[in-house]
Amino acid sequence: MLQTAFNGLISGVIMTLPALAVTLLFGVLKFPNFAVGAMMTVAAYLAFALNAQLGWSLIAATAVVAIGFGVVCILIDQLTFKPLRGRSAITLMVASLGLGFILENLARFAYGNTARSFAIELARPFRFLDVRMNHEQMITFAISTAAMIAMWLLLTRSPVGRAMRAVADNPQLALVRGIDAERIIRWTWFITGMLLAVGGVLIGMDRALEPPMGSNYLVSVFGAAILGGLGSPLGAFAGALLIGVASELSTLVMPPNYRIGIPLAAIALVLVFRPQGLFGQPYIRK
Amino acid sequence: MSAVLSASGLHAGYGTGDILKGIDVALEEGRILTLIGPNGSGKSTLVKTMAGLLAARQGEVRFAGECVNDWSPPRRVQHGLAYVPQEYNVFRNLTVLENLRISHEFMGGGKGEPLSPELAALFPGLPARYGALAGNLSGGERQMLALACALTVRPKVLMLDEISAGISPLLSTAIFRTVKSINARGVSVLMVEQNAIEALGISDTCVVLAGGRVRFSAPAGEVLGMKDLQSLYLGDAREAGA
Amino acid sequence: MISFLVLLGIVVCFSAILALALNFQWGLGGMVNFGLAGFYTLGAYTCALLILKGGANTLVATLGAMAIVAAACALTALVTLRVTEEDYFAIVTLGVGEMLRLVALNEDWLTKGALGLSGIPRPLDHLIPHDVYVYFLLGLSLALLLGTLWVLNVLARSPFGRIVRALREDDVVAATLGKNVLWARVRVFAIGGAFIGLAGALHAFYYQYIDPTQFTNIVIAYAFMAVIAGGRGAHAGAIWGAAVVMVLLEGSRFLKDVIPWLDSDRLAAIRIIIIGVGLILLLVFRPQGFLREHRLQVDLVTATMRNR
Repeated sequence: MLQTAFNGLISGVIMTLPALAVTLLFGVLKFPNFAVGAMMTVAAYLAFALNAQLGWSLIAATAVVAIGFGVVCILIDQLTFKPLRGRSAITLMVASLGLGFILENLARFAYGNTARSFAIELARPFRFLDVRMNHEQMITFAISTAAMIAMWLLLTRSPVGRAMRAVADNPQLALVRGIDAERIIRWTWFITGMLLAVGGVLIGMDRALEPPMGSNYLVSVFGAAILGGLGSPLGAFAGALLIGVASELSTLVMPPNYRIGIPLAAIALVLVFRPQGLFGQPYIRK
Repeated sequence: MSAVLSASGLHAGYGTGDILKGIDVALEEGRILTLIGPNGSGKSTLVKTMAGLLAARQGEVRFAGECVNDWSPPRRVQHGLAYVPQEYNVFRNLTVLENLRISHEFMGGGKGEPLSPELAALFPGLPARYGALAGNLSGGERQMLALACALTVRPKVLMLDEISAGISPLLSTAIFRTVKSINARGVSVLMVEQNAIEALGISDTCVVLAGGRVRFSAPAGEVLGMKDLQSLYLGDAREAGA
Repeated sequence: MISFLVLLGIVVCFSAILALALNFQWGLGGMVNFGLAGFYTLGAYTCALLILKGGANTLVATLGAMAIVAAACALTALVTLRVTEEDYFAIVTLGVGEMLRLVALNEDWLTKGALGLSGIPRPLDHLIPHDVYVYFLLGLSLALLLGTLWVLNVLARSPFGRIVRALREDDVVAATLGKNVLWARVRVFAIGGAFIGLAGALHAFYYQYIDPTQFTNIVIAYAFMAVIAGGRGAHAGAIWGAAVVMVLLEGSRFLKDVIPWLDSDRLAAIRIIIIGVGLILLLVFRPQGFLREHRLQVDLVTATMRNR
């Protein structure tokens, strides 16, 4: 049981990055973005290209891909979402769905359907308190924690981070306080691009690389973000951990294939009883 | 005396139909102008259009000698056209200090201390509340914060949309006194007000708006003396005496 | 060639019914069904199972499919009765749809999982001579499509339709009205669900073999494209949209012959990429969009976004 809880913790830790990406994107762009799964997939494959095909170390590959993918996301936004700025949330959601198709199938086109793995040295798992852990999981833990701390600092201490929170809080007011919304949107995409890239690599390390790898997490990641409260970074973090652990623990009583029921149930419960989630603010739509 | 902010032949609106049907109004430099009129007359819409939140469909908005129809709101505010909206005028999920800091950073003030000594003197209650979330402030504190944010970098023009709304009379008087002090330091002020009597008390000019058009424009002192105008346009006027 | 056109025509018919159902739930009811693929799966499998395991005839199986999907939709709408924001509702339906597809994939004892169900008979195929059967099926599909169009139109124009439209236009008002009126939302979603079930049944009859891979999210992309291409709310538009989309996309299966050096996996990937691009282009260049775009938002935000 402790092993299951630990696996769930790791799973949750992996989800903190994409959950944060989802919540930041929702806060600034005001719609749920269904392309984040496929974005993680593409970034993971890019890292694969550098790592397994060009022989770079995974760390180096991830760092380069993170920055590169940040830029790629800005471009994607210019092409896909910018022409749709100001349109209804549903329009943007459908567009993000289409974008997800495109990205996932670009990966499929390039690498086919067979599962791949990163080129990393295999190390023997070790035991701690009766729980089996391996080095990849430790690295995952470390990287995610570092990323979370970096994000926290960014959001609370830097002008860009403050501006992102301001735009999420009140886009119109942000404008009349001198914040150039488009610039902040570009920054948001750059940052979420990095988060999704690292998230994708972590998933690739935990499981295998295959075209649906990112979209498989979509419902869980959204469940995490909604549970924590869409728009609240702290909520994304907490929600991801909760969903991760709960999903794994549920396999003790339910068939594992239905893990997805946990985030679904979380979404349903939250939306019915407390739409703002654990840490979110009730969003006032004018 | 030149007009630092003006609208000529301005038409604007939301959706089909115009709310502003050809507005001509001018704020002289260094003066205070108060806009009054019944609900739905377009007062807020006019100010929003001047701030750039609403596109001008016809006519011009001129600021500091230039036509600014194509200027985005951030650009206008960075050139000195500050605006305090009527509602949702602070970032509720950010602290008081963060609100001030953002305004200071993005209105061109750079990274320094957002509340200059001069400003701190005008808003003595704020530093004590630096750590509080803006959403948790009382109505009066929020209005003060909203006003202070617009002033972190001294603007050329300050536009206020019902700054005294929902505020106790005592606090309201304090707010108007603060506005008067700000004006004394060279900031031209355009106010939209329901609490017209007090607002007119500190203003130079009064413009009456109704049905999207300017009905009347006169020195504020004269308007205060017009009894029938009072009952028609000054809302549920607190009969100050008469 | 003729038989290809006839078969294409049948596919267009049940795709159009699916698009009409989406249009009804979304255009009239303001409820976006991102779980369309899952409910469609439910309809097809219910129909197939009722025949293969329940021994029912095709008519009963079809009605059964319609009833079950209607009930599933009603349940979904009930759970989310308080959720009036369309994007939250969309997420919930996405989740429900995923669950349904998972059940189809995993509950081998019922659905044979990835193996799928084969040997699904077609309506009246023992009565009609084999060589003219496809024409019969086309005729039947067309009749059902027209019937669907008629029923949904009548409902849209009825007092019921007016209530639903009023609810859609004004969330705030909707939230303050009593449960009785909010039930209208449940009914709209359920009725749409019935027609999703009908489309699912036809799908099962047409292909005579169903497995979970037929019901991916591409289904929802087709339906959305049809509805968006067809334009605002007008039901007939959704049909035209479905026809155009289907012809273009199913016709592109011929790419295989034109580009022989790519294997089928890669070709499938390209087709889906084209679908995705097509969807986005439609959204950008069809400004009538779908729902009444909140004008306020458009004026304010685009005014600011367009300026430097």
